[in-house]
Amino acid sequence: MTPIEIGLISVVAIVFLIYSGVYIPVALGVVSFVSIWLMRDNFTLALNLLKVAVGDSAMEYSFATIPLFTFMGLIVSKAGLGRDIYEVMTMRFRKVKGGIGMATVGANAVFAAVTGSSIASASVFTKVSVPQMIAQDYNPRFAVGVVAGSSVLGMIIPPSAMLIIYSFVAEQSVGDMFLAGVIPGIMLAIAYVGAIWVMGRFTPNFVGGRVVEDTEWMSKREVASKTLPTLGLITIVLGGIYTGWLTAVEAGAAGALVALLIALARRTMSARTFWDALLETGHITAAILFLITAASIYSRMLGLAGLPNQLQDILAGNAASFWTIMLLYVLLMLFLGTLLDTASIILIVVPLFLPLAEALDMSLIWFGIITVVGAEIGLLTPPLGISCFVIKSTINDDRISLKDVFMGALPFAFVMLIVLFILIEFPILSLALI
Amino acid sequence: MLKSAFAGLSRVANFLAISTNTLGTLVVLALVMVLNVDVIARGLFNAPLKGTYEMVQFSVVLIVFLQLPDVVRVDRLTRSDGFLSVIGNRRPGVAANMRRIINAVSAIFMGLIAYITFPEFLHMWDTNDYFGVPGLFTLPWWPVKLVITVGTALSCLIFVLKVVSAQDRPALVRTPEHDEPRT
Amino acid sequence: QETVSAVVIDGYPDRAMWVKEFTNFFIPQMDAKLAEAGNYKMGWQENYGGSIVKPKGVLEGVQLGLGDIGIVTTIFHSSKLPSQGISGSTPFVASDARAVAKAVDEIAREFPAMNNEFAAQNQVYLATGVVLDTYQVFCSSEVSSIADLEGKKIAGAGLNLRYLEGIKDAAGVRGGLTDFYNMVQTGLVDCAMLWPEAASTFKIAEVAPYMLKVDLGAVNSKTITVNADYWAKLPDEVKEALQAVAIEYRDHVAGIAMDRAEASRNTYVEQGGTIIEVSDEDRAAWANAMPNVAQEWAAVLNDRGEAGTEMLAAYLGKLSDAGYDGVRDWTAE
Ligand code: NA
Ligand code: NA
Repeated sequence: MTPIEIGLISVVAIVFLIYSGVYIPVALGVVSFVSIWLMRDNFTLALNLLKVAVGDSAMEYSFATIPLFTFMGLIVSKAGLGRDIYEVMTMRFRKVKGGIGMATVGANAVFAAVTGSSIASASVFTKVSVPQMIAQDYNPRFAVGVVAGSSVLGMIIPPSAMLIIYSFVAEQSVGDMFLAGVIPGIMLAIAYVGAIWVMGRFTPNFVGGRVVEDTEWMSKREVASKTLPTLGLITIVLGGIYTGWLTAVEAGAAGALVALLIALARRTMSARTFWDALLETGHITAAILFLITAASIYSRMLGLAGLPNQLQDILAGNAASFWTIMLLYVLLMLFLGTLLDTASIILIVVPLFLPLAEALDMSLIWFGIITVVGAEIGLLTPPLGISCFVIKSTINDDRISLKDVFMGALPFAFVMLIVLFILIEFPILSLALI
Repeated sequence: MLKSAFAGLSRVANFLAISTNTLGTLVVLALVMVLNVDVIARGLFNAPLKGTYEMVQFSVVLIVFLQLPDVVRVDRLTRSDGFLSVIGNRRPGVAANMRRIINAVSAIFMGLIAYITFPEFLHMWDTNDYFGVPGLFTLPWWPVKLVITVGTALSCLIFVLKVVSAQDRPALVRTPEHDEPRT
Repeated sequence: QETVSAVVIDGYPDRAMWVKEFTNFFIPQMDAKLAEAGNYKMGWQENYGGSIVKPKGVLEGVQLGLGDIGIVTTIFHSSKLPSQGISGSTPFVASDARAVAKAVDEIAREFPAMNNEFAAQNQVYLATGVVLDTYQVFCSSEVSSIADLEGKKIAGAGLNLRYLEGIKDAAGVRGGLTDFYNMVQTGLVDCAMLWPEAASTFKIAEVAPYMLKVDLGAVNSKTITVNADYWAKLPDEVKEALQAVAIEYRDHVAGIAMDRAEASRNTYVEQGGTIIEVSDEDRAAWANAMPNVAQEWAAVLNDRGEAGTEMLAAYLGKLSDAGYDGVRDWTAE
C-alpha cells in the first residue's frame, strides 16, 4: 500500500471508530500511530512521533486561553449574568410576536461575549427562557428551538473555545480569530431575529405565544445593575484584545478575575462553588487539550502520508472552482456534524484542507470562521447534537422529547447554513475588524 | 480475595486520580493569579514579572496531565456515545463488550505514552535540561515529563480497571458544570 | 545510478526565506553536484510548516529520525545547545550576517563543542545559518540617543532582553514578533527590538517611526543538521556534497539577509520612519553597562568541559580579522 492509501484508509477508520464510540483522542492517536508504523514500516519511528507530538503539543502559551475562558464562563453562569441580560432584553421585546424568542437571541448574543462555550449558553437559557415562553403559550418546539439555535452564538462570538482550537491548528493568532468572530456572530444573531419575525408572520402556529399585558418596567438603576457587570467584562476582554493592551491569554485571566469579583460582590459564590468551578475548568481543559494533542498526531500522520498535498493536486488538476471546493468542505462538515462534536470536526478537517486553502491564497482567518460556523451546525443536527442534548437534559420535562428539540432547532440550523454561504461569499465580513 | 484486591486497587487509583486532580486545580488558580499579577505589575509599576510566559506554558501541561486521570475516571474524555447507547438498549451484552474493547485500546494508548515519556523524564533529570532564557528565567524540563508520565500511567491503570469492571455508564452528554450547585 | 532518499524537515512554512532557499538553492545545488559524477541521485521529500514537527521540534525530530535533514532553530535550545549562543552573547560587534555566519561556522569546525552538542542529540552538524543582519530599537516617541531609552518599556524576545540590563530603569517586556506592532501602538511598550526586515514586514514605521541605529549585531539562529544514523549510511560522495553545499547555502542565505536588510531600511524610511545614528561612544557606554554575557556564556561551556574561553577569543578574533571590532572587549573579565 502507498502512504496515500494508508492515509486515506486511516481517515475512514478514524471516523468509523469514533462513530462506534471510541474516545475521540484515542481513535485519532491509535489509528495515526498504526498508520505511521505501516507507512514507514518502522515501529520505533511511530513511537518517536508519538513522543514528539505529546511532548511539544501541550506546551503552548496560547492554550492557557482554554482554562481561563472556561473558568470565566463558569463563574459568570453561576453569578447569574445570563439571567440578568435576559430580563432586560425581554422587557424590550415584550410586545412583538415571538418577542421572547428575539429577546432570547439577543441575550444569548450578549452572554456569548463573556462565555466560551455553547453548552453554557444552552444550559443557562434553557433554565431562564424556556419556562417563561411555555408559560406564555409559546409552542414548546419553538421555545427549545430558539434556545438551541441561539446557543450556537456562544462559540462564534468571542471568546470561543472553537476559535482558540482553530487558531492553534492553523497557527493563527487567537486575538485575530476572536476579532474575526464578532461580525459573523452579530450577523447570525440578526438573522435569527429576522427568521423569528418571518416565522411569527407566516407560520404563527409554529411560534405560538400570546401578547402579555405590559407589566412593570425596570428602573434605570435596576437595568444598570443587570447590564453593567456584563458590559464591563466585555469591555475588558474584547476591548483589551482589540486595543492590544492584553494578549488573549491575559484577557482571559483578567476576565476570570473580574468575573470572580462580580460573583463575590453579588454573593453568588461560596467556597464550594468556587472550587467546583476550578475543578470543572480542569476537567474541560484536560479533555480539550488532550484531544488537541491527539489531533496533532493525526495531522502529522497526514503530513507524512502527503495526503493534504495530494488532495490539493487532485482539486487543482480538476481545476475545481472555489465554490466546488467550499461546497465539498461544507458538505463534509455537515456529514461529520451529524455525529461528531465541533472540536473534533475542526481537528479532523482543518489539517486536511489547510494546505489547499493556503495554496489557493484564501485568508486563513476567514477560513477559520467558515470552519467554526460550519462545524457548529452539527450542534443542532440529529442524531448527535450537543446543544439539543444539553437542552433536553437540562429541561427535564417529559412532554418535550429530544425529537421536539431537534425539530425546533431545524429552522435555525437552516438559517446558519444561509449565513455560512453569505460568509463564504463575502470574506470582508470576517476580516473587517482585524 | 481477588474481588477485594480489585476493590482495593480501585480505591487507590481513584484516590490518586482525585489527588492529582486537586493539584491540577490549584495550578488553574495559580495561572489566573500569575497572569493578573503580571498585567498589573506591568501596567501600573512598569515591572513585568520575569518568566510569566514560561510559567504559563508550564502550567498548561501540568493542568492537562494532572487532570487527565480524573477525566478518565469520570468518563469525560471526549467521545460520541450515540451508537453505543442505542446498542446498549437492545443488546446490553454487545455494548458492554464493545466498551471493554474500547477501554482496553485506550489503556494501551495511555500506557504507550507513559512508556515513551518515562525515559525522557530520567534523561531530563540527569542532564538538568531547562527551557527559557538563561540569565532571565528558566524552568527545568523534568517536572513536565514526570507529570506526563504519571498522568498517562494513572489513566492507563484506570482504563484497565474499567475493562475489568465494565462499569462506565452511557450518557448522551455530561455537563455537570451546569448542574444546580450541590448543597 | 543509485537514489538516496532524504526527508528534509522544518517547522517553519515554506515561505520563510531560509526554507525557500533550501528548496530553491540547496536542493538544486546538491542535485547538480551529484549529477557531475552521475553515481548518485537524491530523492527529496520536503516537509515544512508543522506537517511533521513544529519549529521547536526540529531538533528532536532529526534526533529521532522523523527527518533525515533538518533546519534547527538553535535559539530555542539554549539548554541543549549552549555553544550556539555565541553571537547572541557577544552583542555590539558585527552587523554583517555573512561575517557572523562564517565565523560561527569556522568555530564549529575548529572546536569540538558544537559538534559534541549535536552529537549528543544524535545528529551531525553541517553548517550555520544567519538570517538577519542586526537587531535595532524602534520607538514610538522621538529619541535622539541611547540615554533616551532610560526608564522605557522595551519589547524583545530571548537573549536580547538581557541587553536591556545595560540601560537604567528600562523594563524588558517579552513579546512575539507578531505582537510588537500592537504593543507599541497601545503604549504597552515604548520601544521594540527587532531587525529591519521584520520592521518593514510588520509596518512598524506606522507606530514606531524612530529607529535608533544601535547595531546590536547579527545572530546565528539556524543550523543544518543530519540524523547521525542516516549519515552513517550515506556514501562518502553524498556526504562530501552535503558538506560543500551546506557552506554555499550558509553564504547564500547570509547574503540574501544582507540584501533584504538594506532594502528594508529603505522601506522603513519610505513608510515614514526616521533612522537615528548612534555614536560608538554611546554604544560602548551601553555595552559596558551590561553584564558580561559573553563571559557567562564561556563559563557555561567551560563547566561542561569545553573550551569556552578559547572559543570566545577565537570567534572575536575572526570577526576582528574581517574588520569588525566590537565596542567592548568581551574577552576581558
Ligand atoms: Na463566546
Ligand atoms: Na449533529
